[in-house]
This record gives sequence, structure tokens and C-alpha cells, in this order.
Amino acid sequence: MSDVRLVGIKKSFGENVIVRGVDLDVTPGEFLVMVGPSGCGKTTLLRIIAGLEQADSGDIVIGGKNMNEVPPRERDVGMVFQSYALYPHMTVKENMAFGLELRKVPRPEIESRVAEAARMLELGPLLDRKPKALSGGQRQRVAMGRVIVRRPQLFLFDEPLSNLDTALRVQMRGELARLHRALGVTMIYVTHDQVEAMTLATRVAVFNKGVLQQLGAPLELYNRPTNAFVAQFLGSPSMNLIDAKRDGAKFVGAGFTLPAVGDTSGEVKLGLRPQDLRVASEGPLRGEVEAVERLGFDGYAFLKTAAGSIAARFEGADVQVGQNVAVQPMGDVLHIFSADGAKALRHPEARGA
Amino acid sequence: MFISHLAFADAPVLKLWHGYRGGEEQAIEQAAKQFTALTGTQVELLAVPYDALSSKLTSAIPHDAGPDVFIFAHERLRQFHRMKIVAPSGNGLDRSKYLKPSVDALELDGVLYGYPLSIKCLALFMRGDRGLTAPTTTAELENALTERRQNQFTLAYEAGDFYFHAPILFGFGGVLFDEKGRAQFDTPAMTKSLNWVKSLQDRKLMPQEVSGALVKTLFNENRAPFVITGPWFTGEIDGVPYSIHPLPTVSETGLPMAPFLGVEAAFVSSRTQQPELAQAFAKFLSLGDATIIRVTLGRQIPAELAAYDNEAVAKDPMISAFRTVAERATPTPNTLEMARVWEPMKLALRAVLQGGVSPADAGQLAERRYRALNREAPPTTTPVPWIIGLSIGLVTFGGWQLRQGKGKTFAKRYPEAGRGLLYVAPAATGLFVLVIIPFVIGLSLSLFHHDAGEYTFVGFANFADILTSKGYRITEPLSFYFTLVVTLAWTLANVVLHVSIGLFLAILLKDPLLKLRGVYRVLLIVPWAVPNYITALMWKGMFHQQFGAINAILGHLGIEPVSWFTQWSTSFAANVITNTWLGFPFMMVVSLGALQSIPTDLYEAAEVDGASKWTQFRRITLPLLKPALLPAVILGSVWTFNMFNIIYLVSGGEPGGGTDILVSEAFRWAFQRNEQYGFAAAYSVLIFFVLFAWSQVTKRLSGEESA
Ligand SMILES: Nc1ncnc2c1ncn2[C@@H]1O[C@H](COP(=O)(O)OP(=O)(O)OP(=O)(O)O)[C@@H](O)[C@H]1O
Ligand SMILES: [Mg+2]
Repeated sequence: MSDVRLVGIKKSFGENVIVRGVDLDVTPGEFLVMVGPSGCGKTTLLRIIAGLEQADSGDIVIGGKNMNEVPPRERDVGMVFQSYALYPHMTVKENMAFGLELRKVPRPEIESRVAEAARMLELGPLLDRKPKALSGGQRQRVAMGRVIVRRPQLFLFDEPLSNLDTALRVQMRGELARLHRALGVTMIYVTHDQVEAMTLATRVAVFNKGVLQQLGAPLELYNRPTNAFVAQFLGSPSMNLIDAKRDGAKFVGAGFTLPAVGDTSGEVKLGLRPQDLRVASEGPLRGEVEAVERLGFDGYAFLKTAAGSIAARFEGADVQVGQNVAVQPMGDVLHIFSADGAKALRHPEARGA
Repeated sequence: MFISHLAFADAPVLKLWHGYRGGEEQAIEQAAKQFTALTGTQVELLAVPYDALSSKLTSAIPHDAGPDVFIFAHERLRQFHRMKIVAPSGNGLDRSKYLKPSVDALELDGVLYGYPLSIKCLALFMRGDRGLTAPTTTAELENALTERRQNQFTLAYEAGDFYFHAPILFGFGGVLFDEKGRAQFDTPAMTKSLNWVKSLQDRKLMPQEVSGALVKTLFNENRAPFVITGPWFTGEIDGVPYSIHPLPTVSETGLPMAPFLGVEAAFVSSRTQQPELAQAFAKFLSLGDATIIRVTLGRQIPAELAAYDNEAVAKDPMISAFRTVAERATPTPNTLEMARVWEPMKLALRAVLQGGVSPADAGQLAERRYRALNREAPPTTTPVPWIIGLSIGLVTFGGWQLRQGKGKTFAKRYPEAGRGLLYVAPAATGLFVLVIIPFVIGLSLSLFHHDAGEYTFVGFANFADILTSKGYRITEPLSFYFTLVVTLAWTLANVVLHVSIGLFLAILLKDPLLKLRGVYRVLLIVPWAVPNYITALMWKGMFHQQFGAINAILGHLGIEPVSWFTQWSTSFAANVITNTWLGFPFMMVVSLGALQSIPTDLYEAAEVDGASKWTQFRRITLPLLKPALLPAVILGSVWTFNMFNIIYLVSGGEPGGGTDILVSEAFRWAFQRNEQYGFAAAYSVLIFFVLFAWSQVTKRLSGEESA
């Protein structure tokens, strides 16, 4: 179990600055999930932690030891690659045992650890196959197994479940959580899946363009995003953002007025989660339905309004594309951001909190 | 009158085959035109490359597809006579008109064949700008130069070749054949002559390992004012003043050095349809105007005496000088026994000159080699049991095949056979003509013994002789087992070096950070792109003991020059170095391609898994290279196993055939040792079996790989 501390990590490939000064403290035993849009540098950061990439500046401290000059094989980290990186000439079993053999773990111990991992990852029948003969999901599980058997001090996962079907994903998620509890080691986990982020993480780190936007517990990020990017990135469908201007006791925007809350003034961005909006016949915002995402009894309608696109929840009502409807906020739901979205000015009281 | 009558009646055409090029070819064409103008007989000329001419003649004439007249050197007369392709010249030949030795050379058992055209023999060439007088004795020659600088010599000639040593042997009173006509080697004259030559070399009066090219260089660069060579050398002198003299007399015996005389003659084919006309034409070429044309245009040394009185000829110092020289010459014996002298003599000469054997023991060495090479013909057996056995086998096989398809006709079993056959026909024809037929001929040939055009059936005797190593010990270079071990060692050493060097360079070149990567890649592939015999000759030059680059470098490092081809180990190493130079680029290209197809994230995964660089190479790189490298290694091993060019051109089997591999040994049995085609074919069959066994092993290896 070790903590990881990143101090002012910078990295660029040629002209392109990929990681722009990241400071991050991961406490021992934590399950940290990193999210961010594709290409924002998550994998790069993970590789820097593993030692596969040299940071241009900054320090990597693992377990209190500066690792800047330590080669990957001495860092005692395990990494599941986004591309799996299975050894094509070895069977599943040999792939998993490789790291243990190199560490001179006694044979019976290797056997039992591999068997255990295989059971957990449901790889039992595949142990004697070569990677060529596996499906994408199976390969991903082997890649996980290879790291799990080694029991390193720090796990690094790069989208390890992205290729699994939903059922398996749910199951694996559970297994991972269990594994984390059982081993109690530090894990850093990159994903695009919000559910994974929300369910697995002790804390979530949101990145954008190589900058750490916000770090915090999942609900904290959902309820109190520090800026418009985080607000929009978490939650599905993502938060509606509309431009408005404080006019006395009202926010006035293109084709709507809303009662003002808080003590902001001037130009702002208003944030409304679709979950907090209801499709109704009357409401402050009105527009034509462009698309409908029905999940069953309820769903989301996507409206084209004068202020831009707005997503809102509906329950039961028969919403059709082309209809002209209104949306109604459900109580005090208004997030307010500065006009450029860089700063949150106000959050609603967290419900249930 | 009679001739011209005949000519007009049948509108006759005479065919003439020769091996001339350049001036000599022009001369013979012009002479033929004169003959046509004179008699009205058309002459069709065909220039055949000299090396191919003899075999073309011996195969074409018996089938009436050959020429009426052909020009060849007299050494082959005995063979031509045996194969009955040459007609006697009868009383058309007037002995008194030609230089005596040139006519003597054309005599077989008192009968004369052909008409002598020109002669060739060795002479002493002297540079004219050193103020020297031509030496008449060996003592004078040795003392001709009072002071010499380093790398300067008195004399240069191709001492390792018996053609050049023969005059010296004769000068020391040597006789080639005993009373029974058998070649003799272990004689006092042999020892004395070798002693003298060795002393020339030891006293640095003469360089070591002299080739024809070196003689030319040394003479033109004024580093050796005397060279022993033949009339062909005049074309290689770069405008340096020179004169030509008879070879000196050996001071110790008072005998002159008598060079071999080669006579080129126009022979009449035994199968010509127009014998009188052909005789007339051959005679015409050897006399009068034709001779003058050949001398002035073709720069030939004429055999006809009258030509020397011609004004133009007399003025030519080269031509007249050679007349004097030729008077001392003896015609190269045209006996079969003569053909057997060359290789043992060469072996003895090289052994002495390279310092491995003392002059006194060299005769013994040659004698043993002579006995080994001239195997007694194995007893002739009758092929009848063979034919019966083969027939029974074929019939049994055919019957078995028929039984297999009992009740069904062929057409029923293979309904599409007709169309299928059509599709495979082109490939099958190619395979049949290029592979199956030569293979069957080779197989059959290995059951025969060949001696001077006659094949006798000997069954498995060739194989038995080879496998029991008859006539020499197993540990001698001539033995099959010795050669096999050398071949295997050669193959193994090469493949290991090719792969390790190729792989090493591929790993270096793979690094994307390496500057000028593209340039290195191209440069490293160059050795592969150059034809391998050119590379082989370049390396051969670099390994030269006195003038080679390698010894020069070693010299700068303070290491004694190595005589590369006198010891087995260095000679073998020279071959391996040359072939490694040729072979590593292929392995490098293959490895580079395979390396680039290994994803880098495997190395990263291994790195994180805790593998050191070496472990990564061993556990990731090597196993992943194996599928690409294994076929390359198999291919490379077969190429190397049969890499004739390098062995033949670099070490040439030196010392004493020790570095010969199976193919070069097979070549020598076929073309350098009495044309023992059957024996050579048996060698080839054994090579086939060795490689066949190897292919079975590799099949299993690569089968495991793909499983
Ligand atoms: N070796 C490299 N050389 C040049 N550019 C690179 C290299 N590795 C990554 N990049 C660039 O750095 C940026 C970040 O890459 P990275 O793989 O870290 O993104 P990511 O956040 O993991 O994206 P994804 O979610 O799609 O996996 C990308 O624009 C990528 O093109
Ligand atoms: Mg990534």
C-alpha cells in the first residue's frame, strides 16, 4: 500500500503540450478514477506514473520515494494497458505467470495465484489458449489477470473494462471493488464510463486538456462542480448551460426569464441538470422537440429553444418529435457559473444531503 | 580445278568453329574471305567461347551437327582422336614448312592431324628502361639487380601454376614421365627445382602468391623488371619499353629452361561431307597470306617458317623474339597422362611456396595425390540385374496402383483429370525439364565410371569408394567424411555469424532515435547487392599475404602478417569472413522486418512486469522473431551448404583441399580430376541425401512452430 504524489508534472510531445502541470495526491489505499475527454492525457499521465514515459518536469513520489529516475520494473506497479499488450507467443497461463516467474516466486505459489485470478476473471477454460484465439473482452480480462496475480503496491488501470459486454462489466466492476477492498492497495483507474467512475471511486479526478479540473468524491463533483466543464462532463445527459444576464430579480436570456437566486450580477452561465427539469405545457423555457430518448416509462426530450439546446426529463407524458413544449425546473436547481464557465458561483442545496 | 568444280556443283559451304575474339577473330574472318574469293567456297564462321568450345565440339561432331574445320589447341588432340572427331591431314601437310615443334605437337602414333597455325609459349620479358642486360643464366638473373627497395622484386611469375614451373623442372633435368609413360613426381630434379623457386621467394627476389594480375601490376609499376609470361602479355603492358628473351639456362645443370609449347591448329572434322575441301581450307589457313593476316592483324606467333621472312613480320620485335624462344620449347604432351599431372603438381607447388611442406617432401605429396585422383576404374558390372530390378519395381508399383482403384476406371476415379492436367501442364513441364530430367540423369550417372569419353557401368562402386574412403585416410582432405565435417562446420559457423550479426545490426537500426538510419540501412545492404563472386575476389585480394589490406592493417597494429591460405584455420576463417560479409545483410533485413512487427507495448508490459532488457530480448524478442527467422535460417543453411563461389574463389580449397566443401569437391572430381563424372555425380547424390535429411529435420522444426 503506498501513496502517490505528483508534483507539477509537465509533459509535451514535440510542440504539443499534453500534460500541463498536474499536482495530485493519492492517499494510500485509495481508488482514484481519472476521467476526461479522449486525448486529454490520461494515458500519458498513467504512463508517467508507471515510468514508461519520462516527465519533462515535476516529481513522481510513490510510497514516499522519489521515482523520477527509477525504471518501471523497480517501481512495483502493475499496469493494465489500453491495448492489452498480451504476449502473443505465450498462453493465457504463461502470460499471467510471466511477472511472477521473473520475480522468482515459487512454482506452487504461481499456480495457485493464477488459478485464483482465473476463477475471478472466469478465464478457467481459456488458460491454455494463445491471445490470438481470444475475443476482445477475454483479452482484456487476461490483461487484468496478469496484473492481479502480481499483487503490486500500485495498480494502474487504463480503461480495463471498455470491451466487455454490460453484464460482464457489471460483474467485473463488483470484482474490482471486492479486490480493492481485499487487497487494500492503491489503484488509479482511467475510464470513460461514468457509472464506473461513480461506483468504484473513492475520489474522481477530472482532466481537460492536460489540466486537472477538479478532484473529489463522486457526489461532490456531481453536486458541486467547480466549473462548467466538470458540470457538463459528469452526469448524463449532460447539464444544460444557457447564457443569461442578471436583471434585478431575474435572469434574462434569449427568449426566457427565470427568477434570480444568489448574489451574482452581470453576465453568467446558468446550469440546469436535465434530471431537474420536467417537460410541461407551461414553463419558463419553450421549444420544439428534436429528439426523444425513451428509457421506458420515463425519458429525456431534447428541445431546440431560442437559448440553445435543452434536455429535460419527462415521465409518462406522450412526447413526440416536432411537438412544441415547455420545461419546468423542479425547485431550486440552478447552478450559476461565470460567463466564461471557468468558475462556479453558486450551487443549489444538495438534495438528500 | 577439281576443287572449284566441286565447289560449283554443290554450291558448297564450309563451317569453321573457333574460340577467337578481337583481332584474332577479325584475322580469321579475313582469311576465310580470301579463301572464298579464291575458290568460290563460302565459309560460315562460328565463334564459340573458348571454355565451351571443346565440349561443344565433342558433342556436336558425332551427331553430324559440327563444323568441317575447327581451331583448337593441340593438348586436346588425344581426346579428340579417341572420340574419333578429327581426321588425319595425310600428305597434305608439308612438315618442312613449319616450325619443327609445332608439327611434332600434332603427331599421334606417327600420324599427323591438323595444320599448325600459331604457337604460344613462355618467355622472359624485360623492362627496357632499367639499363639491364638480358640474363642468360639463373645466376645472372638472381644478381641482375644490385639494390632493391622494399616491395620491389627481380622476377615475377605465377609460380603456383605448373605451366610456369615446368620449364624450371626441365631446366633442372626433370622428366615428367617414366619409361612406362606414367607421371612421376618424387624425383631429385623436382626437389632441386622447388628448392630454387623457394629460395627466390625466401630471398625476396620474387613476391609471394603471384597471380596474373599481380604480374601485370608489378611489371607496369616498375617493381619487377623481369617477368615470365606469354605472348598474351604484350596487350597488358602500359606503353613501357620492353624486350622478349628466351628463358635463362639453369646455372647448376647448364640446361636451358624449356617452356611448354602450345600449338593452335586447324583440324578437319572426321565427319565432314567435303573432306578434300575441308583439308584444303585448313591448309590454306596455315600458310601464306592467311598466316600474314593472322600475324599482322591477330598478333599471333606463326607456326609457318616462311612468315618470319616476311618484311612486316620481321620488323615486329615480339614475333621474331618468340621464334627464338620457341626453338627451346617442347610441345605440351598431348597424352592423357599429361592431364593427370596438373593438379598434383599444383598441390606440391603451393604447399612448398606457402611454406607448409619442404621441397624434399613435396614430390611425395604430389605422388599421393596423383594416386588418389587417378582411381583405378572400378570393375565393370552388368546393368542387367539393375534393369530387371527396376522393371520389377515399376511393374509392382503399377499393379499396386491398379489394385487400389479396383473396379473403377481412371476416368471414374478422377472425373476432372483432363482439365486438371491441362492446368498443371505448364508447371509440370517446367519441373520435368528443369528438375526431374537432370536429377534422373545425375542419379544414373552416379552408377557409371567415366574415362576419356567412355562410360562403363559400375553399379554402386562409386558410392562404395566414397563411403569407404578408398585410397586415402578418413582424416585426409580428399575423404568424404573430412569434407562433410568441414562442410557442416562451415555451414554452422556461417549461419551463427549471419544471424547474430544480422540481428545485432537490426536491433541497432530499429532505434528510431538513430540519426541517418536510412543511410546505414542502405549501406549495410550493399554487400548483398554486389554479385558474390566480385565480393569474393575482393576479399581474396584483401587476404593476400604481402599486398592485402588485412595484413597491412595487422602490420600497422604491430601484428606479424598472416599467410592466410597456408593453414587450415586461417584459410577456413578467410572463407567464413567473406561469406559472413555476404550473408549478414539478408538476416539483417529479415530481422529488421520481424522486429518492426513486434508492438512496442509488449516491451512496456514486460518492463512493468519486471523484465530486464536482456530478459525482454530472450523472452519477448527471440520467441517473436522465431517464426520469421526460422525459414530464413533454413534457407541460409542450404545456401551456405552449397556456397560454391566463395570456397572456389577465396581459399580455392587451400591448403591442399582442406577447406573444400562437398560441392566444390564434387566440382573438382568432375572438372579438374580426369573428368570423373560418375564419381562426381555420386558426390552430388550424397549431397542430395544430406540436404534431404536436413529438410526433414527442418520440416519438423517449422511444423512445431506453426502448431
Ligand atoms: N508518443 C506520443 N507521441 C506524440 N504524441 C502522443 C504520444 N502519445 C500520446 N500523444 C498525444 O498525446 C495526447 C494525449 O494522449 P493520451 O493517450 O494520453 O490520451 P487519453 O487521455 O488516454 O485518450 P483516450 O481516452 O482516447 O485514451 C493525444 O493527443 C496523443 O495524440
Ligand atoms: Mg488513453
